[in-house]
Amino acid sequence: MAAYQLLIIGGGLSGIAAGIRAARFGLKTLIIEQHGLPGGLNSFYLRQGHLLETGLHAMTNCAPPGAKRAPLNRLLRQLHLSRKQFDFHEQIGSEIRFAGRSLLFTNDPAVLEAEIGRAFPEAIDRFRQLKQTIAAYDPFAVAPWRSSRQFLAEHLRQPELADMLLLPLMVYGNAEEEDMDLGQFVIMFRAVFEEGFFRPGGTMREFLDLLVQQYRAFGGELRYRCPVEEIVVEDGRVTGVRLEAGEVLTGETVLSTAGIPETMRLSGWEGERERYVGRMSFMETISLIPQSQAASLTRDRTIVFYHNGPRLRYRRPEDYLDTSWGVICFPEHFSGLEPAELFQIRVTNAASYPLWKALPAEVYGPVKQQWTEAATIASEEIIGNYRPSIVYQDSFTPVTIERYTRKAEGAVYGSGVKIKDGTTPWPNLFVAGTDQGYLGIVGAMLSGITIVNQHILR
Amino acid sequence: MSRDEIKDVILEIIADIDEEADFVSLDANAPLRDQLDLDSMDFLDIVMELRKRYKLQIPEEEYPQLATLTSCVNYLEPKLKNV
Repeated sequence: MAAYQLLIIGGGLSGIAAGIRAARFGLKTLIIEQHGLPGGLNSFYLRQGHLLETGLHAMTNCAPPGAKRAPLNRLLRQLHLSRKQFDFHEQIGSEIRFAGRSLLFTNDPAVLEAEIGRAFPEAIDRFRQLKQTIAAYDPFAVAPWRSSRQFLAEHLRQPELADMLLLPLMVYGNAEEEDMDLGQFVIMFRAVFEEGFFRPGGTMREFLDLLVQQYRAFGGELRYRCPVEEIVVEDGRVTGVRLEAGEVLTGETVLSTAGIPETMRLSGWEGERERYVGRMSFMETISLIPQSQAASLTRDRTIVFYHNGPRLRYRRPEDYLDTSWGVICFPEHFSGLEPAELFQIRVTNAASYPLWKALPAEVYGPVKQQWTEAATIASEEIIGNYRPSIVYQDSFTPVTIERYTRKAEGAVYGSGVKIKDGTTPWPNLFVAGTDQGYLGIVGAMLSGITIVNQHILR
Repeated sequence: MSRDEIKDVILEIIADIDEEADFVSLDANAPLRDQLDLDSMDFLDIVMELRKRYKLQIPEEEYPQLATLTSCVNYLEPKLKNV
């Protein structure tokens, strides 16, 4: 008999959510995490006394407590967590800034509509039509891939507006380059432009603590610092996992959240691994400056999505980093948050994994420093100067992301090709998380929940 | 378990799934899902909770019999008579 009814590889948000579901209904469950902290792509780290979050700029899918059908509230019910346990803060307002054009949006969709009316009066009626089409679209129905770019071109006939709408949706949840599946576009449009951004008060550490506590309260077990070396397969079935330390853990069912390419490698699953390796990865630079020096910067924005070139090219850059477009986030600019001791600025740009990976150890540091500088300078063009005030700065690259999360090539949104039903060549091995289909914090957790509901609890 | 006890168990399970569930105007003969604005994921939780508490295996094709409070009681009464 197996030691566990369910083994979950990965203590990120999809793994913990899956674990809560399984443990809640009595399955003997173990989550195995390679790192010493939970969270996966949305975790945190400590450097020189500063707690720095990874991943999280904002959570999407903001919803008021009473909206029962909203993804956020469905998620909390599924995890048996009360809204009252959380302290959520909505964004102040965000901006999409292209050369010479700007669109503001908040969690009130009327703001974006008014902004489009102001900046693109010729396209406002077509934008309203587009919203109606999106409202009527069922992104969860099984459908062949459809081009969002073509959809936008036909509906808006305004290429710059199309690029402006695509930038936040792509950068917060598109694994593909250049274009986006229409279903994914609709999910992201609702999550970002209709429901909107919020974040938990406190840091990712408290948010993750709450989830892990809930998992443990239902009897779930969690082991840190246990890298998996192999998913053990015998006679066409998975029997458990072997850890790098040599220990074998047996399980009736295994759920992997390590991504498809890594799950293939661990299990000996034959297939075109390359097909499932995502190409979009990012470098993130976090700068801390004294609150007194923050006054001269853009004050009333939560997130600025910027782009300087002629047309948006959402793709892996030719160089280490593409600073011609990116995201600047002020994690403090959510309503009702008390200012921290230091003001934080986060800058995210697309980065090329192969170039970073090929760097010899002795030059990796200097090259990272050089590009950190480049990213900072590019952001100063948008929000104002802050380099002289930086008291602490750190950045992480696609190589860092891969090392800590095992997401192949640091592809934070996983594979461009998803396995939506979560199945694998083995009847008792499933995948959940970014490579199953839903993205972001809310999406990753819904993925873990959905796969456990569909395949493991029934 | 008596019919009243089964009814209480169902309401208790639903209250546990959804802290905002309001039973004041609940019609025992009308679909629970519509009245309480529950989705299929919540509905699965009722089934899972019954399994966990009473080791009841409810096959998927019999889920429709759990549609209303009265139909739940009718369906569960013989299964829970020795509990």
